[in-house]
Amino acid sequence: MEQLRVIKFVTGTPWYNMALDEAIARRVGSGESPPTLRLYGWSPEAVSIGFFQEVREEVDLEFCRRRGIELVRRLTGGGAVVHSRDELTYSLAVGEGDLMIPRDVQESYGRICAPIVSSLRRLGVDASFRPVNDIEVSGRKISGSAQTRRFGAVLQHGTILLDLDYTLLSALKVSAEKLKGKGASTAGDRIKTLRQILGRPIGHQEMGRIVVEEFSRTFCCEAVQGDASHEEEIGAHALEGRYRSQEWLFRR
Amino acid sequence: MERSAIIKVSGSKLLKVAVRSQGGTIEGVRITGDFFVYPEEALELLEAKLKGRMVQDVGKILKDEVKSLNITIIGFKLEQLISMIEGCSR
Repeated sequence: MEQLRVIKFVTGTPWYNMALDEAIARRVGSGESPPTLRLYGWSPEAVSIGFFQEVREEVDLEFCRRRGIELVRRLTGGGAVVHSRDELTYSLAVGEGDLMIPRDVQESYGRICAPIVSSLRRLGVDASFRPVNDIEVSGRKISGSAQTRRFGAVLQHGTILLDLDYTLLSALKVSAEKLKGKGASTAGDRIKTLRQILGRPIGHQEMGRIVVEEFSRTFCCEAVQGDASHEEEIGAHALEGRYRSQEWLFRR
Repeated sequence: MERSAIIKVSGSKLLKVAVRSQGGTIEGVRITGDFFVYPEEALELLEAKLKGRMVQDVGKILKDEVKSLNITIIGFKLEQLISMIEGCSR
């Protein structure tokens, strides 16, 4: 890729966020849209679950109802994630044939996570990529990503924890099996936020600027500010209904 | 009879399997977890392929399908899935 379209940070609903990621991936895959990096936030707060997960096994539905936490099933595999307002989410969509993205899926996770790692390092954070799909600081997760390859595109989206209201984590039913061997007794012990490490709050805009620069540097391409196209917005609107549907959420 | 199993596989991924079987014949399988399968639709196809088949054929069926459909699995090994399904069917 020579140019990377960058769609500036906006906060969206869980369903819109997932629908726009898919709509962009579809257009990028068909060659109608350029390689795209999008940054976004979540409101209302939500739990997203992986494509292969069973909702009732992963999420405390009653807790979510009480706290007004919404639910959405992702197009991507991987685990359940709590998305607070203090998360910066990135999503990268490129054509599957793009030479900058390794064909091997595991390798490509490392490649696409590299600019996130270097963004964190620029802030003085000793972050490293941990296969399959995590970025850790001192053995604790600060970022998680998930990738799908559909529509002729590679779509990878992931989190960067700027800060977190830890009480939200009660939305996840993290099994004892999952915590085994992690030296952690709760999900909260497994994660770390940028605010904790830096000792100061960091905003979506500040972190977003760094992430864009690092993507541009890593992939040797020019970052060009742009918006989602009219067609992508229409596509997202059409797809949003599926993401909101109970059939989609409870399909497994 | 329905039985299920859950194991922690590579890294911190979880693989959960639920199998409904009767006298050595598989009536239904559901595979869930936080792993990755490419292409994603292949997982439900694998579940469907096992329906009505004998437990002893599970390994061969899954290995053949993964090869012919060029399925990539990240987060667990096919052998782990096979032995979990077999274990749940006995």
